[in-house]
Amino acid sequence: METQFNVEVDAVGLNCPLPILRAKKAVKDLSSGEVMKVVATDPGSVKDFEAFCNQTGNELLSHEEEAGKYVFMIKKG
Amino acid sequence: MQIPSLETADEPPPVVKRLSAPERRASFIDAASRLFAEKGFHGVSVDEIVRVVGVSPAVLYRHFASKEALYQAVLDELSCQREDYVAAVVKSDMVFANVLREMTHVFMRSFIRQPNLLKMEMHSQLEGNPATQEFFKNRWKTFTDYIEFGLGELQNAKEIPPIDTRAAGLMYQGMLREVLLTKCLQATDRFDDVELEPLVDQLLDLFLKTVYCAEVA
Repeated sequence: METQFNVEVDAVGLNCPLPILRAKKAVKDLSSGEVMKVVATDPGSVKDFEAFCNQTGNELLSHEEEAGKYVFMIKKG
Repeated sequence: MQIPSLETADEPPPVVKRLSAPERRASFIDAASRLFAEKGFHGVSVDEIVRVVGVSPAVLYRHFASKEALYQAVLDELSCQREDYVAAVVKSDMVFANVLREMTHVFMRSFIRQPNLLKMEMHSQLEGNPATQEFFKNRWKTFTDYIEFGLGELQNAKEIPPIDTRAAGLMYQGMLREVLLTKCLQATDRFDDVELEPLVDQLLDLFLKTVYCAEVA
């Protein structure tokens, strides 16, 4: 079953640290427990979002790669 | 396991200290970073690296598939980590100028810790090796992309006057690279009285003044 999400962040074509900036802006408007979906193309974004979640107390529910796109599901802590 | 060379019966093999795998790997990175910084990628052979470390080439190839792989490992080891940029963004208030300042400080500190990185970049520029140039290009791209994108957003919001964002990115890159060269590599007394960090901040302020308010007549 696909994870439901409350907001989607398009970070396609953006390099570090822009996807993180966009995600930080978007997660600010969420309530605790709500989910943000981020789509990125920078291969380094996997490491970046792991670090982002570690540093912010949000939870990385999943990340998948498909056709050069990285999809992250992040639950606000 | 250490395999001593057995070239001649009357020349005993050099006594090599037995190191753990991570220690041996670190010894290659340490020796290679000094050699690459002094002579560039092409100026250093695998034989020279193993001579400095005091082992046979076979030991090096157990840790690194090629000289290129060792060079990449040196760059990864010396350069600032992506986590540091993430941390800079996470703790920032997301204002363009403040994020740029934090990112610049992360970048600058990596050069203070590792001046060899700057020397390797200079050699890379002259050697024209596409693989090494790509690495350094990507390091600067973090800045130029952020500046282009950030200034583009500020322009759209009419917070700054129209500006060529691509040229602004190049201006910043040139400015930052030059200040690092001046303070970290060159023996110049012109800026002896200013530490690197305040000098970088001063140039950053000049850059921001230009992009925020300059209207060229």
